[in-house]
Amino acid sequence: MDTVQSEYILSIKDVSKSFPGVRALDRVSLDVRRGTVHGIVGENGAGKSTLMKILSGVYQKDSGTIIFDGQIIDHTTPHESMKRGLAIIYQELNLVNTMSVGENIFLGRFREMKGMRGTHAKAKELLENIGSKVSTTKLVSDLSVSEKQMVEIAKALSFKSKLIIMDEPSSSLTSEEMVELAKIIRQLKEQGISIIYISHKLDEIFEFCDIVSVMRDGHVIDTKPKSEFTRNELIMKMIGRTIENEYPERPRNVGDTLLEVRSINTRKLHDVSFTIRKGEILGLVGLVGAGRTEIVRALFGADKVRGHKVLIDGKPVHIRNPKDAKDAGFGFIPEDRKFQGLVLPFSVESNISMASIPRFTKFGFIRKSLEKNIAAQQVKSLSIKTPSTRTAVNNLSGGNQQKCIVGRWLEISPKIFIMDEPTRGIDVGAKYEIYTLMKEIAEKGGAIILISSELPEVLNMSNRVLTIFEGRITGEFIPETTPADRIMSAALGIVGGES
Amino acid sequence: MSKSGILTSIYKALTKQKAFIALLVMMIGMLFSKTNFYSAYNLLDMLNSTSILLILAFGVTFTIISGGCDLSIGGNLVVAGILAIKLLDVMPIWLAILIAVLFGAVVGFVNGFLVVQQKTEPFIITLGMGLLLTGVAQQLTDAHPLPAKNPNFMMISNGDFHGIPNLVIIMLVCFGISYWIMRYTQFGRNLYAIGGDYEVARYSGIDVIRTKWMGFVLSGVAAALAGVLLSSKLNTGSPVYGETTALVVNCGVVVGGTSFAGGIGGIPQSGLGLLVFGMLDNVMNMLGITSYYQVLLKGAVIVAIIWMDCFANKRKREAV
Amino acid sequence: MEEKKSVLKAGASMLRDYLVLVMIAFLVVITAIIEPKFLSGSNLVNIMRQFGPLIMVSLGMTFVIIGGFIDLSVAGTINLVAVVTISLIQPLGQLPALLIGLALGIVCGTLNSILILSSGALTQAEALFITFGMSTVYSALALLYSHGSTMHFWDISASKSVFEAIGGGNIGFFSVSFVIFLVLLAILWIFQSKTADGRAICLTGGNKTAARLSGIQISRSIVEIYVICGFMAAVGAIVLFSRITTAAPVIGAGYETSAILAVVVGGTTLKGGKGSVLRTVMGVLLVVLMSNCLDLLGVSSYMQYAVKGAILMFAIWLDNRKQA
Repeated sequence: MDTVQSEYILSIKDVSKSFPGVRALDRVSLDVRRGTVHGIVGENGAGKSTLMKILSGVYQKDSGTIIFDGQIIDHTTPHESMKRGLAIIYQELNLVNTMSVGENIFLGRFREMKGMRGTHAKAKELLENIGSKVSTTKLVSDLSVSEKQMVEIAKALSFKSKLIIMDEPSSSLTSEEMVELAKIIRQLKEQGISIIYISHKLDEIFEFCDIVSVMRDGHVIDTKPKSEFTRNELIMKMIGRTIENEYPERPRNVGDTLLEVRSINTRKLHDVSFTIRKGEILGLVGLVGAGRTEIVRALFGADKVRGHKVLIDGKPVHIRNPKDAKDAGFGFIPEDRKFQGLVLPFSVESNISMASIPRFTKFGFIRKSLEKNIAAQQVKSLSIKTPSTRTAVNNLSGGNQQKCIVGRWLEISPKIFIMDEPTRGIDVGAKYEIYTLMKEIAEKGGAIILISSELPEVLNMSNRVLTIFEGRITGEFIPETTPADRIMSAALGIVGGES
Repeated sequence: MSKSGILTSIYKALTKQKAFIALLVMMIGMLFSKTNFYSAYNLLDMLNSTSILLILAFGVTFTIISGGCDLSIGGNLVVAGILAIKLLDVMPIWLAILIAVLFGAVVGFVNGFLVVQQKTEPFIITLGMGLLLTGVAQQLTDAHPLPAKNPNFMMISNGDFHGIPNLVIIMLVCFGISYWIMRYTQFGRNLYAIGGDYEVARYSGIDVIRTKWMGFVLSGVAAALAGVLLSSKLNTGSPVYGETTALVVNCGVVVGGTSFAGGIGGIPQSGLGLLVFGMLDNVMNMLGITSYYQVLLKGAVIVAIIWMDCFANKRKREAV
Repeated sequence: MEEKKSVLKAGASMLRDYLVLVMIAFLVVITAIIEPKFLSGSNLVNIMRQFGPLIMVSLGMTFVIIGGFIDLSVAGTINLVAVVTISLIQPLGQLPALLIGLALGIVCGTLNSILILSSGALTQAEALFITFGMSTVYSALALLYSHGSTMHFWDISASKSVFEAIGGGNIGFFSVSFVIFLVLLAILWIFQSKTADGRAICLTGGNKTAARLSGIQISRSIVEIYVICGFMAAVGAIVLFSRITTAAPVIGAGYETSAILAVVVGGTTLKGGKGSVLRTVMGVLLVVLMSNCLDLLGVSSYMQYAVKGAILMFAIWLDNRKQA
């Protein structure tokens, strides 16, 4: 009569997913037992969020099998996934800011809830069940991040979910709210709901989870009951052994202080000050949302930030916009090369030359031949693979596109080169080329500020790293002589080292 | 809260009530004027003249809330009005009106197709549609106002029901229907979701394309209805009133608090915003401001309003 | 099979790029067949006449569109410049009046750009509304200035009239206005394709964020495009009233849509970044030929207005698909 319920609510077998130039998931296998809290830990770029997005239907897997609650899942949409009982609470919250809490919980189900009254009544009930006192008529935009997370949880519960995936749920919760969250998780467990808990915070992993899986570079490295893991073991498995010949040697020619930044203060950043020396690669290490990009954008004048001081070679400079920054000697590779860095329909030549227009202009007139030379030279020295310099940059691979941006700035030999995720979405070969370039730039006396979500990359390339946590600099380390887990702990906001 | 925090929230509250403040300023100002502004006759007349614009505003709101806009309403309304008048010759009033309104629906349907399905930029393509329709209107009437031949037609917009002008009643009915749709139906709430965050709405299983498309159809219907009522009021079909109507209505909606960003505002807000323009017209007439100065003032007000809306968006964007 | 596909693709994209030329050729041939009067000398002169004001405005509009924005205020600018300039001929003399007229165009353009910059408007839609509103303002100013009446300039006592020359005079083989057009076209073409500022405008239109993050001052580009547009609208106004010797304060009506139509039909994309004033010349040619053709065929001017709207929609739709 009753088919025996499988002991696993979710079975993932050999799931792979690739994006152009990058293998995000490589034959990932994972089983989640019913009624357990299954933790997933891993670095940024390990593949956790790709896996979650495949489960929830935002992405489609390339290959492999997914079985949820006894059903094989193939080609699904977020809505169908929710209806089936698989809910996911994202880090970047999935709410409509302009609408009320109640309506967000029942988005698209107005009729089902019998209108506004029913919506708000049921929403209130759901929120009370998880101990949240948020008013259902309040607009989402007026909520704190933790309150928004509560709304997301309520939303997941409104679908009678069997499995709830929480992606970094505690990233903005106060300690009281954490207690509430713990209560909720316990309640959900009692109700037989399974939970996948993704977090960097090892304390929570050890507190909440029954079983832990570690992901790295698109693989599941290990899955064990939490009691069988030690903290150090977890960290080591997350980071992996640093493979020395994947990266060139660090630049050795570090000189005097080149840049001094004092007191950047914004809504997100708190009293950020640091220095960087000639010939140095300075890495900024931190979680997504810690404030790394905000720091460099403030420095480069990309965001309207006032009140901080910038000194180059001891002399104060006033940077109000990117042009000022460029004139002061900065270069900038933005985080999103497609939308912030390139003019996609334009040629390789135009994209390379766009920061150095004065160099090929005489009396206001463009010398096409000079421009051609500049582009050709950069293409050659950076080995940019393109049919011609007139090709639209849109047609190039990610790595070559990135090289165009690098070449753009190299042309004006910046003193301080800001690189925000320079190797994201780029194949291994091109990555190494960029690393070599970075080393060359440093050895010629330039300084590089490197932001990367790949911890091995930033640790291996940088002479010095700053750890950023919740908008503050929490530590300064020399990667060559500091164990990675100590740096990691500082980036996680863990004060006073590891246990 | 810090000093700047208090100031920001006051600023926020004020900017949300732009329309209310504008109305207040005008009403207080008129207290000192030696005019008949506060006579029952004038107030009712003001409401009457604004009714048609209000109906247009309600329709346009459907498109703006979902993140688009409709600049074809001017051309739509003139053609519908002319169509109604021409059809009066050969068929009963109700049928002529029905066909005219259906015409508006078709226009809305085409707009919806181009904007939602074909993903064209709504502002400029509905502008083009407006031009197309204006040209058609001129062609249909040879640029002369076309008199209605059915005396009953005039009574629709010019009659009254126990002292309340028909137009006001019709407008209130439209208000009621539109408000109900926006606030109490799934369709209306989905429009808000789509305008608030297209992707989130899509992920939640809302049929974003059909819903947004329907918004355009409703806007077309409202515009056509307004056109019929206008023709009835003037007892002629004329291509003249199309030109700046689209601009005034869209701006009025923004004044009231329905932002071009989408997802914010609603029917009452749009109505309030249009009342500002309606009152402005009335006030300017009362004060004897000559028509050219009126146009100038209105244009300046429109620019100021759009400027403020853009500026508010800029502040949101640059909040670091 | 793959090769065949790619050849077809290349052919189709070439067709799309030069569609306007094809359409012009098509139009000319068909019209000449249906109405032989089309190719008569007087008709050709007529065509050249209509060309004048529209090409000036369209050339200016090209820059705004390449920069990723739009300017609907040209109609108002034309109105204002026309009535003001004409009224100043008598009291101040021809040349001063001319210069003031041109300056006024620059002022209007500058005002537009200030409003757009200060409000932080970055999208074409926002610019559309702001400039649409300003058109109303400028037109209202024109109405106020002229008290609603059409202004003439009476016979100018000086032996040589600049305006008469612009209106109908000749320099050798060509009309004066044509020469002015060629000169301005050359200047604008050089500016657009050969100067740093021209390049900056293209980059701003291509991707404002990337341009800004590469150190380009997009505010400078924005001012430039609107000033050019305002100036060219003023030139257009002057050519227009010189021709018909009168200036009604509504003389500019419809020029904004004709100009946008000409630019889009010529092949400059509304999305910005790419385009050329040369293409706009072809676009204007097509628009002018088309209305001439429709005139000869007896189509009413109202229907033409409608056709203009329809073609604008079609061109925008086509442009949108091309860029997708």
